[in-house]
Amino acid sequence: METSDKKPTETPAAESRFTVSPITLLADLWMGRLIRFGGLGVVLAVFGMLAFLVLQVFPLFVGARVEALPALTVPASAVAFGEDEYGELPYVVLADGTIHFQRGSDGAKVQEWSPALVGRTVTAVRSYPRAGLVFLGLSDGAVLEAKVSYRATFDAGGKRALQPIVTPLEPVQVGSPGLPCLGVWNAKGAQSRLLVVRQESAGRPKLSAVRITERKGLGGKARVTASAPFAVAPELSDLEQVLLPSTADSLLVVTGTGEVRAYSDDGVGMPLLQVFRPFADAADARISAAGLVFGHVSVVLVGQTGVHQVWSIYPQAQPDGRSLRRWGKIHDPEKLPGPAVGIFAAEGNKCYLVGAGGELQLRNMTTDTLRWQGPAPAGRVAQVAFAGNYDRFTALTVDGKLHRWKLEDHHPDSSWGAFFGKIWYEGATEPAYTWQSSSGSDEFEAKYSLVPLFYGTVKGTFYALLFALPIALTAAVYVSQFLRPEYRQIVKPVMEVMASLPSVVLGFLAGLWLAPLVDPHLVSLFCALGVLTPAALGAGFLWSALPQPWRRQVRPGMEFVWLLPFIALCCWLAWQAGPSIEAAFFTVKDTASGAPLADFREWWRQTTGMSYDSRNCLVVGFVMGFAVIPIIFTIAEDALSNVPQSLISGSLALGASRWQTVWSVVIPTAISGIVSAVMIGFGRAIGETMIVVMATGNTAVMEFNPFSGMRTLSANIAVELPEAAAGHTHFRALFLGACCLFLLTFVINTLAEVLRQRLRERYKVV
Amino acid sequence: MTATMNPNPSRIQVRPATERDGRRDYISIRDYGFWYGQKQALEGISLDIPERQVVAFIGPSGCGKSTLLRNLNRMNDLVDGIRHVGDITIKGRSIYDPGLEVISLRRRVGMVFQKSNPFPKSIYENVVFALRVMGVRDRSILDEACETSLRKAALWDEVKDRLQDSALGLSGGQMQRLCIARAIANRPEILLMDEPCSALDPIATGKIEELIHELKEQFTIVIVTHSMQQAARVSDRTAFFYLGKQIEYDTTEKIFMNPSQAQTEAYISGRFG
Ligand SMILES: Nc1ncnc2c1ncn2[C@@H]1O[C@H](COP(=O)(O)OP(=O)(O)OP(=O)(O)O)[C@@H](O)[C@H]1O
Ligand SMILES: [Mg+2]
Repeated sequence: METSDKKPTETPAAESRFTVSPITLLADLWMGRLIRFGGLGVVLAVFGMLAFLVLQVFPLFVGARVEALPALTVPASAVAFGEDEYGELPYVVLADGTIHFQRGSDGAKVQEWSPALVGRTVTAVRSYPRAGLVFLGLSDGAVLEAKVSYRATFDAGGKRALQPIVTPLEPVQVGSPGLPCLGVWNAKGAQSRLLVVRQESAGRPKLSAVRITERKGLGGKARVTASAPFAVAPELSDLEQVLLPSTADSLLVVTGTGEVRAYSDDGVGMPLLQVFRPFADAADARISAAGLVFGHVSVVLVGQTGVHQVWSIYPQAQPDGRSLRRWGKIHDPEKLPGPAVGIFAAEGNKCYLVGAGGELQLRNMTTDTLRWQGPAPAGRVAQVAFAGNYDRFTALTVDGKLHRWKLEDHHPDSSWGAFFGKIWYEGATEPAYTWQSSSGSDEFEAKYSLVPLFYGTVKGTFYALLFALPIALTAAVYVSQFLRPEYRQIVKPVMEVMASLPSVVLGFLAGLWLAPLVDPHLVSLFCALGVLTPAALGAGFLWSALPQPWRRQVRPGMEFVWLLPFIALCCWLAWQAGPSIEAAFFTVKDTASGAPLADFREWWRQTTGMSYDSRNCLVVGFVMGFAVIPIIFTIAEDALSNVPQSLISGSLALGASRWQTVWSVVIPTAISGIVSAVMIGFGRAIGETMIVVMATGNTAVMEFNPFSGMRTLSANIAVELPEAAAGHTHFRALFLGACCLFLLTFVINTLAEVLRQRLRERYKVV
Repeated sequence: MTATMNPNPSRIQVRPATERDGRRDYISIRDYGFWYGQKQALEGISLDIPERQVVAFIGPSGCGKSTLLRNLNRMNDLVDGIRHVGDITIKGRSIYDPGLEVISLRRRVGMVFQKSNPFPKSIYENVVFALRVMGVRDRSILDEACETSLRKAALWDEVKDRLQDSALGLSGGQMQRLCIARAIANRPEILLMDEPCSALDPIATGKIEELIHELKEQFTIVIVTHSMQQAARVSDRTAFFYLGKQIEYDTTEKIFMNPSQAQTEAYISGRFG
């Protein structure tokens, strides 16, 4: 009111012209908040994604968690044990062959079974808890087999109770009659079962075996035939330990002098295959403990000082050139604190428990990792059994205790080494990076090396960019700097449409149309591609050699009208020349008929020794190049067009040619944009999935050969994630791949961004 | 010897035209007409520019000064749909001669733009750019050319310790002098300057005018300017254009003291334009 008094000309209406309407302010405030929220949301989403990936991957790298449960007291004469699936009703086998069932929860005795033996006694006992089989070696060299099974019964209250059933079979004479069995082993192979007993005569060990074949008769009744007993390793003078692989086709004997003698089934007997002394170099070459790990082609051996080796049987080149399966050392795990008291393999994976120096170690054979370590029970361990689902293990000690542990180890096969290192898998001839996640067999060991996938990713990206970068960048330079604006306005939108082509379509074209098309005309294609650049350069040279008046006829920026046909003609000629070049340089002898054969593919296979797949890297690179060219082109073209005209005029006015202007002024000025373009293209290529899935054989090979396929991290996820069980090692390994892909792009993009910022700083335009 | 800055813009100081030896028709423009597409930008231009003199083009905005200047080194070639009649000769040879490479023409006729346009490179690289594109590789030649051109452009003392720094860190006036140094590094014969001082403060303008005086000893200079004082101070001859036509061309003294055309008189005294 005061002001209006002083300045009567200023009406309130005039004053209100300068006030801002509350709606404008409110809109400003809310839009500001919304934008901030959106920005934060994006950052959070990215970090959330990363956190999710890390969370999925983290369990792969935690070791085993083991928790000791209360021990059960069993009769002191127990020498072996077994249990049901959940450990509710374990049993121990006493030295006299009595099977003694005790409740797992309170140790109360439930039932007892004794073998009916007339005039014979039990002299050896072996229990196979997973199969529920108990073998009793008798004093006359015969073996009595008893099968332990359980039946669940429910009482009136619906409470579940387990009812053990012991079914003894007829004794089988395996050893020499009259000599007591000192040890008994059983293995069930694919064709037959092998029963082995150890006896002793005149102070020398004596091994005998019987092969038992079971044939299902027509009536459903099994017809069992036992072969005549035959002697194994008759030459043996001493014997420490017998290892009978579950494949039942071989037998390992550890002697007191530190020798391992391998015998192999030849259908008749078991002749000696190989003898090796793993600790021959040590002062005391004796072996303190030996044990087969699951899969039964690898044996863990511990020497007297705790030195530790893993031997496996795999094809080895022999001096005569043949390749035969022989035992060889594949791992040197770290030294144990002392001689081992026993090696006990887990079921279903390559872990084993080893007791040494008063402690127990749970180790993984393949990855050479220590998964858990804890105190060993007081008494000497006689036998250890792992539960079938690897969540428990039980040990019987000679002082009459059944020690039990709860085990939590969801990913026993995983370790940094397994994912990123070279691993010598059993059966392989050398350490390698292998990805092989599934197979038909149960005993198959999944191999999760991400290195070949990394390799495939890099390889695919490399070939894609090798193809795309020159084309996209030169096209961007040409279109932005040389082409007439009218045509530029056509080319740009067309390229942008190309960028939106779904990669499934490109992959489909690549795999089903391009690959078969390119295959027979490979040399022609190479000729045409090879001629492309010289033809373009030659055309440019010819053009500049033309006299001025002729050149005047063509408006600047329209030179392509005659350059294009020239280049096309050159390429066509080169394509036509392909077959004769193939005949001249790439002729090889046909392996079948011996006739000369002009075929590049065959030539490649024979001269380089590398493979040739028709769905190869070149096809992928070519088509993936097509997917990334439009993106690189569009962004690079924008960057190049945004170079101020004043700089171009400045350069031209100094007497630079158009090309010199482009090379020394336009490109350096636009370089940060070009780097961005390349990075975005790179990001697209590295994460490209469908083209790779559809246009390659998806084999995880590790060779840079342009004519072989590949498997990329992203394609691997696309192909395998649907069939991976959630939470399983395989599933998490795929997520680890995703994590790596994420990190790879993150690192490369960060580096590129740093580079870009520096270039921008250097070439910024005022 | 600093340039005399006149505090009173209404009084114009005129520098007497000095006659130096050299061809009087060093650059000769004959009945020149020029079209941007359908639009005629120049019509009936005929003038001779003597060797080693400074000629100023003046006239109201849009009258075609820049167009004529840019045609002298054919910088308009890249514009679409251009057409010309008449001829421009330099030392008797037409710049439209089919046998003449436009690049060699531009090496002979250097140009400084209204807005300074240093390349985003080091000061050194900016100066030797023209030599580099000519294919000079010898470091000692480049170093020497860099120093002499920077000295001629009166910039050497200010930048001699930071030759490898980015040219974009210079002040506006320094940048413009750098552009002049860049333009004279390959020793052209003619220097075209399109309003070289329009974005500069009086001190920088003074330096550049002083520079023009010195460069005149070696180069023939054509300068476009909107400042009457500047035209009067630096040029030997002045051409006045209006609507694409050449109204008057004479010694600067004559144009400013005693113009023969009423339009010239009106423009100079600020009555239109
Ligand atoms: N590239 C072009 N395309 C079409 N017309 C143009 C182009 N450049 C200039 N012109 C036109 O030609 C005429 C002369 O322009 P020019 O730039 O030569 O004027 P000028 O005298 O330099 O003006 P100023 O003093 O404002 O710089 C103007 O009418 C302008 O619109
Ligand atoms: Mg102008």
